Amino acid sequence: MTTTLAEVRKNAADLDRWLARRRWARAGWLYAFMLVMSIFFLGPFLMGLLSSMKDNPNEYPPRLIIPQLTPQYIGRAYNLGVQGAGSGWNGGLEPGRTVTFDVSVRSPADAPQGPPTTALFPYQPTSLVAIARQAQATEYATVRTVETGQVGEVRSYRITVDYPALTAQQGEVIAARLATPDENVNAKLPGGQIVAVTLDTPAAQDKQYSLNATQAVELVKAGDKYYLRGPVFERTPLQIDVQRGQSITASTLPPSDRQNFGRSFAYRNITPGVLGYTFNNYRRAFSETTSPQTGRSLFFSWVLNTFLYAFLRVSAAIVFCSLAGYALARMDFPGKNLIFIVGVLFVQMVPDQVNLVSNYVLLQDLGLLNIWGLWFNGLVAAGGVFLMKQFFEGMPKELEESAAIDGAGPLMTFFRVMLPQAGPALIALAITQFQGAWNDFFWPLVILRQNTDYLLTVGLVNFRQLYGGQGDYGLILAGAVLSAIPVIVIFVIFQRYFVDTGSDSAVKG
Amino acid sequence: MLKKGQTSAAYLFLAPFLITIGIFFFYAFARAIYYSLTDFNLFNTPKLIGIKPYVDVLSDPSFRRALSNSLVFAVITTTLQTIGALLMAVALNNKIRGMAFFRSAWYMPSITSSVVITLIFLWLFQRRGVANYAITQWQTYLPYTLTLLGVLIAAQVAQVLWERARGLPAGWFDPALAVISLLIALAVTATLSWTGVLSVRDVAPYDFQYFSDRWISIGGARLLSIPMLVIIIQNTFTTIPTLMLFFLAGLQNIPGALYEAADIDGATPMQKLMNVTVPMLRPVTFYVITVGLIGTMKMFDQVAVIGSAAPQDTLITLAYYVYINTFKAGAAPVNLAAAAAIVLAAIILVMVFLQRRFISSEAV
Repeated sequence: MTTTLAEVRKNAADLDRWLARRRWARAGWLYAFMLVMSIFFLGPFLMGLLSSMKDNPNEYPPRLIIPQLTPQYIGRAYNLGVQGAGSGWNGGLEPGRTVTFDVSVRSPADAPQGPPTTALFPYQPTSLVAIARQAQATEYATVRTVETGQVGEVRSYRITVDYPALTAQQGEVIAARLATPDENVNAKLPGGQIVAVTLDTPAAQDKQYSLNATQAVELVKAGDKYYLRGPVFERTPLQIDVQRGQSITASTLPPSDRQNFGRSFAYRNITPGVLGYTFNNYRRAFSETTSPQTGRSLFFSWVLNTFLYAFLRVSAAIVFCSLAGYALARMDFPGKNLIFIVGVLFVQMVPDQVNLVSNYVLLQDLGLLNIWGLWFNGLVAAGGVFLMKQFFEGMPKELEESAAIDGAGPLMTFFRVMLPQAGPALIALAITQFQGAWNDFFWPLVILRQNTDYLLTVGLVNFRQLYGGQGDYGLILAGAVLSAIPVIVIFVIFQRYFVDTGSDSAVKG
Repeated sequence: MLKKGQTSAAYLFLAPFLITIGIFFFYAFARAIYYSLTDFNLFNTPKLIGIKPYVDVLSDPSFRRALSNSLVFAVITTTLQTIGALLMAVALNNKIRGMAFFRSAWYMPSITSSVVITLIFLWLFQRRGVANYAITQWQTYLPYTLTLLGVLIAAQVAQVLWERARGLPAGWFDPALAVISLLIALAVTATLSWTGVLSVRDVAPYDFQYFSDRWISIGGARLLSIPMLVIIIQNTFTTIPTLMLFFLAGLQNIPGALYEAADIDGATPMQKLMNVTVPMLRPVTFYVITVGLIGTMKMFDQVAVIGSAAPQDTLITLAYYVYINTFKAGAAPVNLAAAAAIVLAAIILVMVFLQRRFISSEAV
C-alpha cells in the first residue's frame, strides 16, 4: 500500500487542525480558571460591599439581590423622604408633615380578619461619643390605619403617620439646635446666635422637660419671637404586627426585621430618603460618631488624620529616603556596608515589638503620644531607603561625572541632577509609603491615645469592639469599605508602579 | 570627586536616616535588652535582676502558647502561600489577552489593610455567615456536583481512548475533549435533574462556630486552633498576590530554550514544572520564604482586630503577647514583655541565618 503526496499533505493538515483546536480549548479553560480565581480574590470584597448596603448584613440565607439597590425601592425611599422632610436624599421627619405607607395583609378564611396593629417605636443609636437621649418620633406623631381595598384574601391598608406642628404661628421656618436651657428653653440658630424659644401651646409646654440640649428642632420666627415648631427626627421607625394566621405580603419598603414567625415587621425608617435607605450604614458611620456638642464626626476626623499621616510619611520618605538611598548607592565612604547591612536589612528583620516599650516611654516623656510622635517614630523607612538605593544603582554614572566636571557639589548634584531623574522611583516610593501609612496599624494602636487622634485602622477596631458584640456588622462593613476606597483608587490609577516595585525588589533582593 | 568631601557629604545625606534609626531602633533595642534584665513595670525605677525575666517568661503558660501558635502559624502559612503563589504565577505566565486585568484583580487583597480584611473575614466566618452558607449549599447540591464530576471523568476517559484508537496523540487532560466532556456532563446532569432522578439533599444549615475554643490536636497536644486556621486562610489569601508577583518576575527570566528542550524530550507539564520551573526559581523562592517567615512570625494585626471575639489562647502570638503585657492594667510586666520581644527577634534572626547557612539560594 502506498500513500500519495496528497494524502500525506491531507493528514498533516488534519493534525494541524487537531492541534489548533487544542490550543483554542486550552485558552478557554485558562480564561475560565482566571475567572474563577478572580471571583475568589474579589469575592470577599464584593460580598462585603453589597452587604454593607443591607439593613441586616447578617441575614440568612444571604441574598445577592438586595432591595437597597433596586430602582423601584430607591424611588420609593426618595418619595418617602420627600413626604417626611421635603428631602428625597436625606429623608427624616419634620413637624407638620404627613407620611403614608402601604401594606398588604393576607387573612385566610379561618384566620382573624382584623387590621394590623401599627405603632412607631423608639430608636436610640449606640455610639462611640456621648449622645444625649434624642427625642423620639413615637412621642410626637400619631399613626392611623385605614383599609383601602381587598383582592381575594389580601387586604391592603394605608398607614398614615401624622406629625402636627407644635405651634399655630405662621412665619419663617428655621432649622436650629436646642442649647443649654436657663429659665426658658434656648436654641442656637444656624448663625451661632442663641435665642429664647417660646412655647405657645400646651402640646409644646408638655415636652419642655423631655427635650435635651443639642436636639435638632424647627422654629417659627414670627415678629421677633421664636416659636417651637417641634423636633426634627432623623428617622421614623414603624412596627406592624398581624395576628396568628395572617401574614404580611407586601409593603412600600421591605422590612428591616421580621420577627415572631413573620407576624411582626419592623421598619427602622419609613422616611429614609435615598441616602438613608441605600447608604444608611455609611451615613451612620459618620452620624453615630458625631459629638452633638462640637458637631464633629469622629469617623471624619479619623479620615482626615489618616490623610495627614499619609501625607507626612510620603513627604518625609521622598526627601530622606532618597537622600539616604543615594548616599548608599553612589557615594564612597567608610562604614557604608555596615550601615546598609545593619541599618537597612537588619532593621527590617527585627519585629516592631522589640522597640515598643522604649519608643512608647520616650514619646510619652516628650508629650508626643499623637500623630507627630507617630510620624517621628517611622520618619525614614528602611524599606524606602532600600528601594531608592536599588534605583540609584541602576542610573548611569555619566550624569554625576558631568555634574562634577561642572563643579557642582554633592548636594547640588543630588537635587539638580539626580532627583529630577528619579521620577518613576519617587512615584513608586510615594505609593508604597502611602499604602503603608494608610494601612499602618501597630504603631498607631500603641501611640495614639485619644479617640480624636485615631487613624482609620484603629478607629475601625473600635467599631468592632462596640458594634461587633451586637452583631451590627452593617456599620463595620461600611467603615471597612470607606477606609479601603482611597488605596483602591490609588491602586487603579498607579497599578503599573505597584506591580513594578514588587517584582523589582524580588529579582534584586 | 574628592573622597574626603564625599565622606562628610554622605554622612550628611544619611543623617536623618541614621538619627531616626539611632533613636527609634538601636537605642530602643538596647533599652529593650536592658529592661528585659530588670524588674521594670512602667512606673518604678528599673533595677537589674539578671535573667530572671527570661526564666519567668519561658515558664509562663501563656508565653508557651504564644510561641507554639506563632511557630505553627509561620510554618503553615509560609508553606501554603509559597506553593499557592508559585502555582498562581505559573497560571498567569501565559501570554493571552486580558492578562493585565486578571493580574490587577488578583492583586486587590494585597493592597487593602489587614484590619479591613480581618473585619470582612470575621463577618464571613460568623456562625450564620457566608462561609457556612457556602458549605451548606455545597452539601445541598452534592448529588449534582458528584454526578457532574462522574460523568465528566467517564466521558473524558471514553473520548481519549477513542482518539488514541484513531492514532491521535490525545493526553488524559486533553483540553478540547474536556470541553466536550463538560458539555456532555452538563447535559446529563440537567436531564437527570429534570426527570427527577437527582434532587437536592435536605441538610440542616451548617453552623460551625469558628471563633471558639476548638483545636486540632495531634497526640493530645493542642497544635492549631480553629480561629488560627481562619487567620491562616485569610493571611494566605492576602499574601499570595504579592508573592505571586515575585514569582512572575522570576518566571519571565527563565530562558524559553529550556522549555523547548523539555518539549523535545517529551516532558509533561508536571515534569516541566518540577524539573525546569522550580529549580530555576530557586533564588526567588528563597527570597519569598525569607520574607514569608519574617512576616508571619511578626503577625499581630489580625489577632488585635479579632481581640475578644475569640478566646485569647486560641490566637495569642508572640507579638500580641508583648503588646498585652506592655499595656496590662496596673503594674505591667514590661520586663517580661521585653524579654519575650527579644526571644521573638532571636527566633526570626536564627530562622533567617539557618536558611542562609544551610539552603543554597543559587539556581541549579
